[in-house]
Amino acid sequence: MIEIRGLSKSFAGRGRGRAGVKALEDVNLTIDDDEFLTVLGPSGCGKTTLLRCIAGLVSWDEGEILIDGKPVRGPGPERAMVFQSIALMPWASVVRNVTFGLELRGVSRSEAEPRARELIELVGLSGFEAAMPFELSGGMQQRVGLARALAVEPQVLLMDEPFGALDEQTRRLLQEELLQIWEHRRTTVVFITHSMEEAVLLGDRVVLMSARPGKIEEIVPVPMPRPRSDHLDTVEGSADMHRITTQLWTRLRSWQVDVGKARKTPVAS
Amino acid sequence: MSIPAAVSPRIAGRHPRPPWVGFSWQAGAAPTAIALLAGIVFWEVVGRVAGFRFFPPFSDVFARLFEMIGNGEILPPLAGSLRNLAIGFGIAVVVGITVGLLMGAYKRVETALDIYVYALLTAPSLVFAPIMFSIFGLGPEPIIGVIIIYTIFIIIINTSSAVQTVPRPLIEMGRSYCASDWQIFRRIILPSALPMIMAGLRLAGARAVEGMVNGELFIAAVGLGAVISRAGSRFDATTVLAVLLLTLVIAFAVVRTIMFIDRRTTSWLPETQRATR
Repeated sequence: MIEIRGLSKSFAGRGRGRAGVKALEDVNLTIDDDEFLTVLGPSGCGKTTLLRCIAGLVSWDEGEILIDGKPVRGPGPERAMVFQSIALMPWASVVRNVTFGLELRGVSRSEAEPRARELIELVGLSGFEAAMPFELSGGMQQRVGLARALAVEPQVLLMDEPFGALDEQTRRLLQEELLQIWEHRRTTVVFITHSMEEAVLLGDRVVLMSARPGKIEEIVPVPMPRPRSDHLDTVEGSADMHRITTQLWTRLRSWQVDVGKARKTPVAS
Repeated sequence: MSIPAAVSPRIAGRHPRPPWVGFSWQAGAAPTAIALLAGIVFWEVVGRVAGFRFFPPFSDVFARLFEMIGNGEILPPLAGSLRNLAIGFGIAVVVGITVGLLMGAYKRVETALDIYVYALLTAPSLVFAPIMFSIFGLGPEPIIGVIIIYTIFIIIINTSSAVQTVPRPLIEMGRSYCASDWQIFRRIILPSALPMIMAGLRLAGARAVEGMVNGELFIAAVGLGAVISRAGSRFDATTVLAVLLLTLVIAFAVVRTIMFIDRRTTSWLPETQRATR
């Protein structure tokens, strides 16, 4: 279980007289074990900052994050992250990229490689074990990113807009496959996205965040049954889906006006 | 879960081409050979027809070079020069990469040193020859010193910017997998910076030969520079050009060796990116 209590964080203003930006304000959130939680919000709402706090990559000003009761002080072996930038090592083959996390933990190559090969198969990249990242398409690269994260057998999978840079059909394919994998090997997933459809399709709950300051506006439960991966198209056409996305859009649109007014104070995403 | 059928594992397993391909032997052996031949013919014709006193034709120069190799006139000074080159360049590489890595990794080291590094990079390196001479006297040491000054700053600057341009997301990725500082350095910063470090070494390699000859010409007691200098004072242009020819071959060999090592160590670079360096 992940408990986030009273989390606040500001970024110092750049330049003289520029006020600091409140990236997160009093964020309270409890994430259950094996829950698939999606976080939705306009750019600049601090959703990525929230994820980076959970990952232990950045510090915060106030509040605390507990994972199974233990406070987060930095990155930990029970968490693994999938990046929007994918962040594969261009000099290493697919296998070497997937074994990266294991090797850092002192697992020998001979032990790490069979595990990596299993995961490469799981994400549908059999035959590409020795390929270099530049030989792969964006979707295939992100599959490697996912396999790398799964390789360290995390309790919590942190996904920062992982499919944000992919084209529509690749994105749909990967959503389906991510759900399939998650249905088979359950972990807690915190999934950041700016797509309403993606948030509803994948999530058990959708956390809706607003910008300036970044805070949680609403937590919307998604009651659609699981498993969903085998009939994602039906899910997308369902009345529930329509109702929830409409509800989310109504909220998001009501802020667009405010955001327009506040445009004078730019915010780092 | 499956991959799209259109994407076959054809490209898997091997690089598009082996790392040594791209050497002009394969990629452009014919143009290189033609250009060389044209240059030699031009030299020969101009040398014969024009009859300038200090511009002997290629065949004379080439014959003189072989004569000097045969009678032992050139091999001992050549060995001495190459020894100085190896020591000087070796020191520059080791110290330069170390300082460059420190400057790249630590902002304070960079702020402290970069004014010196840039100033010394821009300063004409040969002005240090008399200083070296006065410190070390006659012998190989001042020449080694000149070679170091010719090469070290470019190595430092390239290494330090190589470290600074390591993509931040990669470092963050390493940290998210609990990498220690040392692991991040060893497994992310170093491999990521290597292509640019090697590019610096390539530039420095050519400058090392330049530094060697210039240093020897100035101090004129040892090595190939001494041979040139003695021949020059006799107005023996054939010998001067013969030695010059030899230094060109050395410079070419040094640069090619570094390029070869570069290709082996950074074979992961896509060819498209390599071309832009």
